[in-house]
Amino acid sequence: MRDPEKIRNYLLASMALILGMPLYSQTEKQLVPSDLRQQTIVTEPVTLRKGFFRIGTIANYRVADRYFDSNRTREYYLASVWSTKSVYNLALQYGITDRLEAEIVTEYMYNRTKSQSVEITPGTNASTTVTNKQVGFGIGDTRINMKYQFFPETKYKISLTGILNATFPTGKKNPSNVKSATQYDLPVGDGAYAMSGEIYARTILYPYSFTAYLTYSYNFEGSKKIEATDPKESNFRLGNRIQTGASANVHLNEWIVLANEISFYHDGEGWIRKGSTVTIPQSWAAVYVPNLVFQVKRFRLGESVSIPLLGKNVPADPLFIMTVQYVF
Amino acid sequence: MSRLKYILAIALPLLAGSVLSAQVTSGERDKYTLLTMPFNMRQLTLYKGQLAVNAGYKFAVRSQQFDSNGDKQILTNSGTGSVYHYYFADIRYGITDFLEIGAETNFIRHGMRDQTTTYVSATATGTQSVTVNKLSEVKGLGDILLLFTIRPPMQYKWFDLSATGGMFLPSSNYQPAKPQDNITNIAAANSYLINSYNKYTNGYGVPVYMISGSAKAVINKITFAADFTYKTPMHEGKNIRWIGTMTDKQFSYYDKTYQYLLSDEYSVNGAIHYQLTGWFDFYVNGFWQMTKGGWTEYYGNKYSNTRTSLLTLEPGFELQISPSLTIYQVAGFPLSGKSSDAPFYLFTTIRFSNFLFSK
Repeated sequence: MRDPEKIRNYLLASMALILGMPLYSQTEKQLVPSDLRQQTIVTEPVTLRKGFFRIGTIANYRVADRYFDSNRTREYYLASVWSTKSVYNLALQYGITDRLEAEIVTEYMYNRTKSQSVEITPGTNASTTVTNKQVGFGIGDTRINMKYQFFPETKYKISLTGILNATFPTGKKNPSNVKSATQYDLPVGDGAYAMSGEIYARTILYPYSFTAYLTYSYNFEGSKKIEATDPKESNFRLGNRIQTGASANVHLNEWIVLANEISFYHDGEGWIRKGSTVTIPQSWAAVYVPNLVFQVKRFRLGESVSIPLLGKNVPADPLFIMTVQYVF
Repeated sequence: MSRLKYILAIALPLLAGSVLSAQVTSGERDKYTLLTMPFNMRQLTLYKGQLAVNAGYKFAVRSQQFDSNGDKQILTNSGTGSVYHYYFADIRYGITDFLEIGAETNFIRHGMRDQTTTYVSATATGTQSVTVNKLSEVKGLGDILLLFTIRPPMQYKWFDLSATGGMFLPSSNYQPAKPQDNITNIAAANSYLINSYNKYTNGYGVPVYMISGSAKAVINKITFAADFTYKTPMHEGKNIRWIGTMTDKQFSYYDKTYQYLLSDEYSVNGAIHYQLTGWFDFYVNGFWQMTKGGWTEYYGNKYSNTRTSLLTLEPGFELQISPSLTIYQVAGFPLSGKSSDAPFYLFTTIRFSNFLFSK
């Protein structure tokens, strides 16, 4: 038989420790910079390290409310038409070496256009309402990107990366379920192959990073039904695009980055051969994109808005973008 | 001896706990402690010497509205959906821990499309059709609101009250600009399109009083917050209405003065907050607003303004990025209402805050 006094002493000592623990567990753990060693869009390498994957999705949403006309004036769409476009893309990146990265991107699109107009005949006091609804959803086009660091950041103050991109027209390119010229399902793909090359430069001056890029995209000739009621496909070619941009990014704290990008793109003249040849006019836009990116360990959440500042023959509405990424 | 052990057994854990507790909180009211004060530990007004500047942007999709019976009408089905771009800025300063002054204004851009209408009539030479697209745009700076807020002169612990009074000064333009109507295919004899573009402004045109009361109660990490606001115009106002006529495809306009009395506006917020960590507060707010009273003159007769109401559910968060910077974001989901637009919105605000005269 053990000494009851001793047992009680052990119990009292244990109680003291146990009672102290809940008090300790109630204290809040404050995240400090040294706790967070994750790499953000400022500090991460331009390409993924060898053997690492990154999976992510980018969702964007735009409403058609205003546009830049051919005189570069911002105008409203005046007719009673409501159009929205949502894109949910899925991207998988893989670091083949510390300097070479491969990426495949596919997207799911949801486009919607609704319009309604009324025809009134005052003489007979009769009215007719005409409603049109076009919806398009499904897998869109697919892109494959290869990135290679020519001048890696580990050796040079300013890194230089080359990016090659190929677009495959995997999305449905023709209107389907055609009931009339205004009642059909919208296509979700461009219907043509495209190639692009990009030079991307970056330097890090912690907590800042600065980037600049120049891209040229070449669109190949394709064929598709331009109007829903066309009996056969017509050949077409979209204009080539040149795009350039620069961004300044800053760590607001160890896990939030504010990125600011200004970009400019110009789409050259394209054409449609439908009996006679119709020209697709040139267009361009200057865009500002503020982007707030939250990084928690390997998980990243980004929120940005693409705001068209100036333009010609392009939409003038903001594009809302949400990004979710995970590295493993 | 045994009693002493019991006393020690109780006292020791408490002592251990108090030491641990003392390691994580500071009772000092230094600048950084006040700037990083979590929502649940913060009083309703700014602290003495604190300056706060807020800038916000609300993107709203007006895809539906509630009619006078409270039934939801989907505007996108008729192609008449639209978007609001609403920008907001305010500046506030804590004169003491119990008195705050501030000023705020806003800018709005919102274009509303009417349903495209074609009028068809038989003439001696055939059928004539005139199609009309009508757009009404509200654009411009809002009036400047000057306000002050007071709270009881005691240290905030778990409950707080405040009262706000202020006035919207009629500082911004309130008269609509002359409409811009045009005919796109003017050469066509029997079929043409009229684009009608009406331009409205964002000012009240008269001074408007505002009073508000707020309350806040905290239980650990959960905070209950509520406020009530009432706005009423100081007096009747005068504005102009543009009358347009078309003769031989040429438009002419003249303006006609009319009187009006703005409706009174009531709004109530009721929110429950959860302080997830010191730098992140998540909340769900119920926002109810109603307008009633007021009238508008049409051709010498006064017609009562339509009574409107709207209830919106607003989940949102407050995220402290650095001692000086905080981000707020809230999404609005309209639940019910009467005679009111019911937009879905996303409202993002960034706040810069600091003490001007403290090191």
